[in-house]
Amino acid sequence: MRLKTIAVAAAFLISGGLASTALADYPEKRIDMIVGFAAGGGTDVMARTIAPYLEKYLGNDVSVVVKNMPGASGQIGVTAVAEADPDGYTLGTYNLPGAMARTLDRHADYNADSFTYLANIVNDPNVIVTPKNSDIDSMDKLVKAAKARAGAVTVAMSSLGGDDHFFLQKLSDVTDADYTVVPFSGSAPARSALMGGHVTMGIINVSEVVAFRDELNVLGIASEKRSPMAEDIPTFKEQGFDLVNGALRGFVAPAGLPDDVESKLLAAFQKTYDDPDFQKAMQRSGNPTELALGEQFKELNAEQLELAKRIWETHPWK
Amino acid sequence: MYGNLIDALPAVLSLGNLAAVVIGVIAGICVGALPGLSATMAISVLIPFTFGMDPLVALGMMAGIYNGAMYGGSIPAVLLRIPGTPAAVATSFDGYPMAQQGRGGYALQVAVVSSAIGGIVSALVLMLLAPPLAKVTLLFGPTEIFWVAVFGMSAIVFLLGGDVLKGLISAAFGVFVSLVGADTITGAERYTFGHLELLDGINIVVLLVGLYALPPAIGLLEEVRDFDTQNTGRLNTTSIWKAMPGMLRYWKTWVRSSVIGVFVGILPGAGGSMAAFLSYNEARRASRNPEEWGKGEPEGVAASETSNNADTAAALIPALTLGIPGTAVAAVMLGGLLIHGLQPGPMLFRDNPGIVFGFMWQFLFAAVLLIFLGGALATNSFAQVLRLPRPLLGAIIIALVFIGVYSINGRLFDVYLMLGFGLIGYFMDKLKFPLPPVVLGLILGGFAEQNLRLALRIGGGDWSILAASPTAKILIAMILLVVLAPLFSRWLRARKTSRAAA
Repeated sequence: MRLKTIAVAAAFLISGGLASTALADYPEKRIDMIVGFAAGGGTDVMARTIAPYLEKYLGNDVSVVVKNMPGASGQIGVTAVAEADPDGYTLGTYNLPGAMARTLDRHADYNADSFTYLANIVNDPNVIVTPKNSDIDSMDKLVKAAKARAGAVTVAMSSLGGDDHFFLQKLSDVTDADYTVVPFSGSAPARSALMGGHVTMGIINVSEVVAFRDELNVLGIASEKRSPMAEDIPTFKEQGFDLVNGALRGFVAPAGLPDDVESKLLAAFQKTYDDPDFQKAMQRSGNPTELALGEQFKELNAEQLELAKRIWETHPWK
Repeated sequence: MYGNLIDALPAVLSLGNLAAVVIGVIAGICVGALPGLSATMAISVLIPFTFGMDPLVALGMMAGIYNGAMYGGSIPAVLLRIPGTPAAVATSFDGYPMAQQGRGGYALQVAVVSSAIGGIVSALVLMLLAPPLAKVTLLFGPTEIFWVAVFGMSAIVFLLGGDVLKGLISAAFGVFVSLVGADTITGAERYTFGHLELLDGINIVVLLVGLYALPPAIGLLEEVRDFDTQNTGRLNTTSIWKAMPGMLRYWKTWVRSSVIGVFVGILPGAGGSMAAFLSYNEARRASRNPEEWGKGEPEGVAASETSNNADTAAALIPALTLGIPGTAVAAVMLGGLLIHGLQPGPMLFRDNPGIVFGFMWQFLFAAVLLIFLGGALATNSFAQVLRLPRPLLGAIIIALVFIGVYSINGRLFDVYLMLGFGLIGYFMDKLKFPLPPVVLGLILGGFAEQNLRLALRIGGGDWSILAASPTAKILIAMILLVVLAPLFSRWLRARKTSRAAA
């Protein structure tokens, strides 16, 4: 009797197992999401915010597990994604322009063709800030000060070869002036040095300025349209400077993903992005969202690579 | 603002939130006491789990772990001369000699009471003075921070020990290790040999564990025939409540070290270990019998432990108000706040007073709890560890160290690196090279270099920028005072004796 029950149960399980492989394909096991930074950083928070929504929209009770592989400003994580099996069970976060800039200024075991570009979710435009008590409270005054003497304006920023550095290069081209770069290895120390009046101006991202509006002058934002996070900051375009730049954060998979897997993932990212709860969660963690899906993201990546190449060739930073 | 402080109290006192602090303190003491595991690591492991938790529960655990670990690190530092955390290095200077004299129990009691006092002062400062102190932080640009690092380096002088040349070689080795990795200004790779794992530099825990934990652990293994564990296992403790009144004579050290700890805490980038070194140095300088220090002076333990706990909550002042963490632990905690949608900045205090002020209360409770949990329970149970047969103890420490170092970044590379440092540490130990200058060199070397270069960039290459601000001038004067005062007093004394002879 007991044996029979077990046999029946086993048969049931086997048939059930077969049925499920036949019926439901991707995803049928856990998906790893590799984050190239430590737990608690901006990119990590984005990955952990999106994970439950992807689980929901991919269906099949799949679990999306965030794995932190910190080091070399994200390069270790991105390399791991590039080298993973293209089966849809390894995804990773992807930061621009950093991921592409590293293929120029360092030895990297990946290039632009190593990835299937899924979705860019965050676009955090650059802003120019000056200390509250500074005389320089408009773009015109800034340009005047910068032109008065080459290198007279000291610029606090996070690091060389990042979005803020590329923005400065664009600013330098557009205003035809030379600035002194002061890279602080992080936006927060750069912002504090600025608030303490130790540097003339700073380049950070709009998400990093919203909590400090009373302490800083914001001269402009490098986006096409004004940011919903700070409607009162005028764009540089409005002020007659053709400056659009920012930090991008998105998700990629290894190159060569099967078409059906790719389309399922793209659909899940689209649905996630359209979910008002997801938008609310991103807003709460201070992430300005802007979707670039699939091909669009790939083009965005190519643009960023072009920009990085141009700057690397004309003004190599190391 | 102080009204918000009171409003936040009821939520903190709820059972769940209070339990979180208690669990955090216990976990923190354990993590701190195990060589190789640090508070930074424990909190970063905890962070992903807190994603779905109530913010105050998550933050309470973090506050508990931070405070607990800062004391916990002193347990192996005293009993085995293996600092459990980088900040406990200075605790071992006098704590270990005390243990050898059979006063290990008293050393731990001094450590726990001092830790609690430092933690309480720090929490009160965070609660009452955070916004004004944030303005002090802003005074410290690259120039000023460079001078603070130089001030810290002046502490190396006493860490050099008997042989000045060996001491300087040790310090230079520490500074060399700080150079490894991508240069923070241009990103140029230094001594990385193409290894991505080395780009971010060498984690202090990897070096510390290699130098400090491996050689004594190997030492324990060498004593295979030593089965006499009866004597060493005795700590000779009286009840902590009876021991406390006797400690009141350390009050001057408590005050001085708390101030130093808080000050180092609000400086961006400096950490608990620098606070402990500085305050040990200052306490020793102020002492009437400096020659007894390093041979088992309880006041040395008090100085180091007070200030490394006084650094904890204070480090959150720049972290919460400006987003710049004062220590590695505060940096990880910021991540914990971010996960709960709490963005650092002046708005944080306005938008989420319940959570921010609740978090501060939790720091205070964690510090008070240290006396009960650390003093009454943990100290005695950890001391039992010493009763283990020596080879077994050595093997356990080595196993723990492997796990701890592996889990920092989840890679074996760090373990190999640690083994390399272990080898260096083993020979340094045998050849009598002092270890503390290495740690100080690693902490302050890179710190000084980066800030000096930033300062010079700001000044357009003009060295006069280094003395331009009033804050910088004050710091330079302090450094001169510290360096020249002993020389001057020696000269005075020499003159006096020569006159007496004449």
